[in-house]
Amino acid sequence: MTTLLRAENLVKIYHQHQPDEVRAVRDVSVAVQSGEVLVLRGPSGSGKTSLLSLLGCMARPTSGRLFFADQDVTRLPEHFLAGIRQQSFGFIFQQFNLVRELSVIDNVLLPLYPTRLGFAEMKRRATEILAQLHIDQRRNFKVAQLSGGEQQRVAIARALINHPPLIIADEPTAHLDSQLAAQLMEILTELHQAGKTLIIASHDPFVCDHPLISRRLNLHDGRLQEPGA
Amino acid sequence: MTPSLKILDYALASLLRRKYKHLALLAVYTLTVAVLASVLFMTQSLRQEAEALLSTAPALVVQKLVGGRHDLIAEDYAAQIRTLPGVRGVEARIWGYYYDSLYGVNLTLLGWTSAQGETLELLRGQLPQQPGDCALGAGVAQTYGVEIDDSLVLVDQRNQSRIFRVSGIFSSDSQLLTQDLLVLGNADLRAFFEIPTGLAVDLAVQVYNPREIATLAAKIRQQLPATRPIARSEILHSYRTVFNWRSGMILSLLLTALLAFAILAWDRASGLGAAEKHEIGILKALGWTTSDVLQLKFWEGLCLSLTAFILGTLGGWIQVYQFGGGLLRPFFSGWSVLFPQFDLYPALSFYELASLGALTIFPYLVCTLVPAWKNAVSDPDAVMRS
Repeated sequence: MTTLLRAENLVKIYHQHQPDEVRAVRDVSVAVQSGEVLVLRGPSGSGKTSLLSLLGCMARPTSGRLFFADQDVTRLPEHFLAGIRQQSFGFIFQQFNLVRELSVIDNVLLPLYPTRLGFAEMKRRATEILAQLHIDQRRNFKVAQLSGGEQQRVAIARALINHPPLIIADEPTAHLDSQLAAQLMEILTELHQAGKTLIIASHDPFVCDHPLISRRLNLHDGRLQEPGA
Repeated sequence: MTPSLKILDYALASLLRRKYKHLALLAVYTLTVAVLASVLFMTQSLRQEAEALLSTAPALVVQKLVGGRHDLIAEDYAAQIRTLPGVRGVEARIWGYYYDSLYGVNLTLLGWTSAQGETLELLRGQLPQQPGDCALGAGVAQTYGVEIDDSLVLVDQRNQSRIFRVSGIFSSDSQLLTQDLLVLGNADLRAFFEIPTGLAVDLAVQVYNPREIATLAAKIRQQLPATRPIARSEILHSYRTVFNWRSGMILSLLLTALLAFAILAWDRASGLGAAEKHEIGILKALGWTTSDVLQLKFWEGLCLSLTAFILGTLGGWIQVYQFGGGLLRPFFSGWSVLFPQFDLYPALSFYELASLGALTIFPYLVCTLVPAWKNAVSDPDAVMRS
């Protein structure tokens, strides 16, 4: 297995040198191997989402370094990071983060607008993924009309549309009942079998203890308690 | 397909998604452009009208001043002016203003001279040939409802009715001339206004070389100190100045409206709704760059501002040329003076249109792009926490 993502002594401080300064991530070093399923677990406020933001190139660390496919991306210009997010990462957000006024298919197409793909190819891909996730019959529905489980699947379809090698999911079962959570884990299992690398932040025991998970990291107050364990 | 085209497609869809909000903004924006366009069109048309009117005027007019006021001038002065080198001809003109309270119109009565025949295009009949004849502008004929050979009754200086036979109806490049000009024989007009023989209202001077007008005017002033020579270009300059000044005044007032609109646009953009901010965050998280987001906002702004510009300009055009600029006319023509009613001829200047575009589209784009940029440069991780 090759190392897909490597973090060295990552620190993230919000509102630095201000009265409301928050040290969200403290000196985290971690390496994510290609094809593994990594869970970041910890209570609310432990820094899981902040660490996911750093690993997903959505925020810059206050200090430390981040390598993606052996390339130091810590200080890359914004448009390079956007390119990495666009080509290599698929994000499944805790709140789904769908554009409510858009239809299912339009939401799924969003990552492909800045690419050179034609509309026909974009729609072909979206239709294919929506069919895989059994949501294609709702393709023209506004997402506001969908149930929580259906919205979750739309969010997953959007995360997969650009064929990313790495999927980052933040509390993916937070808004799902046990049945939907089980369905989600089945989907994640299929993704893993398809060769995707998964990083999941969760404090849901159902996710953390799922057989799919290959490695668990505990976060507490922004620190890894069992680094690399 | 290039990303830019796809982002344009997304921008159009985005405008339609929030259609009520954007329609409201478009309405205010269009109204602002329409008012500004009306001012520009009106100014341009009035300047053009003044130029058409003065194209028929003599190159130089000599008036007599008494106590700083315009007075009747001795026709003998014409002979003295005629001796100056460069003068082609001098004609004593009889003319005056006539207010008809019955019709509520203000007419210019002009004594017919040979020179006048060159500038008026006769539609029917002929210019006055016999005593008691008159020729009217087409607009005047329409106002009085008269045709060739009909009688026209005017009240003279002694409050006595005089009957004139309509011998001709003419038109002119200038709407003002056709709407307020009435041509009589010189003798008839002299009697009408009781202008003594040997005196005239002013002297019209024709010159060989238009570039020598200023020199000639200086010589006339030197030889005849009680006179005031006025060059056609000076009158034209005065008209332009007046219209530009009035237009400038109105535009200054309207700039307040424009500023208010800019503040509205800024407020709209900087106070991006939570949904819009959230959408920007999502797009960035999904791999859109800051410039992609700015491009999206640019297309949105450009589509909206171009639509408002086109609709507003069209609205201004219709207001001025279909409805006679009724809303703005009093600002330009004043309230205390009776002016003849006349139609404005369309006058389109690329420079004016470009100025209008620069004045309305550019500020809107800046007002929307700057706040959008402030949102777009932030890290997308905010969306992770929403």
